[in-house]
Amino acid sequence: MLELKNLHARVTPEDGPAREILKGVSLSVPAGEVHAVMGPNGSGKSTLSYVLTGRNGYEVTEGSATFDGADLLSLPPEERAAKGLFLSFQYPLEIAGVPVMTFVRAAMNAQRKARGEPEISAPDFLRASKAAAQKLKIDPEMLKRPLNVGFSGGEKKRLEIYQMLMLAPRFMILDETDSGLDIDALKVVAEGVNALRGKDRAMLVITHYQRLLDYIKSDKVHVLSAGRIVKSGGPELALELEKSGYDSVTGAR
Amino acid sequence: MAAASPEVEAAVGHLAQNGSEVSAIAEDRIAEFGLPTRRTEGWRWTPLRRALEDAGPPWVRPDITTGVDFSLEGLLAAFRPSDTVAALALGLADDAWEYGGGAPLQIDSRSRGTGARIVLNPGQAGVVVQHIRKTEHLQTGAALIDLAPGAELSLVLIFEDSSASRIALNRVRLGTGATYRQFVLTEGAKLSRVETEVDIAGAGAKVELSGVYLAAARRHADLTSQVILNAEDAEVRQLVRGVARKGGRGVFQGRFKVERVAQKTDAQMEHNALLLEEGAEIFAKPELEIYADDVQCSHGNTAGQLDENAIFYLRQRGIPEIEARAMITRAFLIEALPDWLDEAVRGEVEQRIDAWLGAA
Repeated sequence: MLELKNLHARVTPEDGPAREILKGVSLSVPAGEVHAVMGPNGSGKSTLSYVLTGRNGYEVTEGSATFDGADLLSLPPEERAAKGLFLSFQYPLEIAGVPVMTFVRAAMNAQRKARGEPEISAPDFLRASKAAAQKLKIDPEMLKRPLNVGFSGGEKKRLEIYQMLMLAPRFMILDETDSGLDIDALKVVAEGVNALRGKDRAMLVITHYQRLLDYIKSDKVHVLSAGRIVKSGGPELALELEKSGYDSVTGAR
Repeated sequence: MAAASPEVEAAVGHLAQNGSEVSAIAEDRIAEFGLPTRRTEGWRWTPLRRALEDAGPPWVRPDITTGVDFSLEGLLAAFRPSDTVAALALGLADDAWEYGGGAPLQIDSRSRGTGARIVLNPGQAGVVVQHIRKTEHLQTGAALIDLAPGAELSLVLIFEDSSASRIALNRVRLGTGATYRQFVLTEGAKLSRVETEVDIAGAGAKVELSGVYLAAARRHADLTSQVILNAEDAEVRQLVRGVARKGGRGVFQGRFKVERVAQKTDAQMEHNALLLEEGAEIFAKPELEIYADDVQCSHGNTAGQLDENAIFYLRQRGIPEIEARAMITRAFLIEALPDWLDEAVRGEVEQRIDAWLGAA
């Protein structure tokens, strides 16, 4: 479903020269599977998620990324979203003045329009929203407030998953979704994520710690270090990393 | 006597053609005190000379005192002699109205100049909604607003987009416990300025000044205000938000002057602007001048660009870039709409903002 071949990317920060962060990432995530990408800080995990979703300032210098066999990298972010690519942000943005539900409905209808589908009706939208909020134990009042403004870290992460349930994407990238969550919130969020597993869908779970993978079972684990995947394996690889640290696989020290 | 600047020459020329009693008085005052030039503090970013280019050919001045219980000369006499922009506005006036509270007053104006007087008696409430429509010529207006103790006025001023120039002055005086609320939406003009001067003369007064300015290409939008606190226990809230596109200029000048007697003043000023494109201009000058020691005063002022991180967030959710930008800009501006606006006015303002954002 998602195919990365020898992907090189550099980042140009506003206040400095371009730096190469991804140095040849190859990865294949077939439909129906959940893959985890683990790695130490600065290994390029977030860069990978931004390159895949098309953020400005992230420039691919070599290699390819395809989604359902079609080139992904030439598309603007909104077209990638309409094709079903969803990123759960590590640091969700605060959007002042735009209530959560207004925003999600606008997003949903924009995606539908891009796909040539009719807009969702108000009752259908409300029904879906109610169900998603219930599943994630979100207070419905929160959905009337401006997106993420004044929300706690945990609430923001829950809202990312709420948006994910509402938009029902086909490929999900979860960037450090466990950060800022206590164990109860983590379980609720994981349940929401697991509800979207299916044979036509796939996921890339980016995380620093193994903990999240106790709740979101992955089919494969990849270790990203210094912009390259240095090791791939089954779920047991995550446990091994938890025990002996990243240095054991990255060869540092 | 001030040397005749180009501004004075142009103004006197127009006023002389007018030939009325008030224009003669205005001419005298302008000849004596001059008019603001580019070097005048408070007018640096709003060159009055450009507005005077649009004064147009002379016109037949109608008899405008009919139905109005004041003369323009009398109204002008109530302004400071050195307030020559007010003199210019009244000297060019071809329209006048007055309001004493009660049923809301709707003003729809295409006139060249308007003299207005609002006097609310103790405890009286009133609402004025003014639309200044698009014209081909300079429009000026000067309003004298007197709020007796406990009176309460809400005033909305909408400056429709215009390729000519316009200047509106509101001079407001508040008695004890009086409330003045003002909301201005300006879509800009060749040169446009709304200048509000508030004199808090009685204790416990409340003032709320809010505004939104939109400066597209070849548009100028100036919101200038001064609140002079001459009595204790006042509450002043000011929130102005504005946006400018390439070739557009937004100007915010706000001043709170808290005199020694104005203890327990609680005053907050906030101005935030977005430069939507390269080549947009925003000029801002917030000022606090405080002579009392037991006060709470603050001001905030920002001018920046749309948050690209937020734009990306919206696009990642499937919202196309142009819509994402409009959505965030709209939300930014709408926050400056006060909650006392009635539903119809609020709806109109939102619609105008949407239309402006959509006309990119």
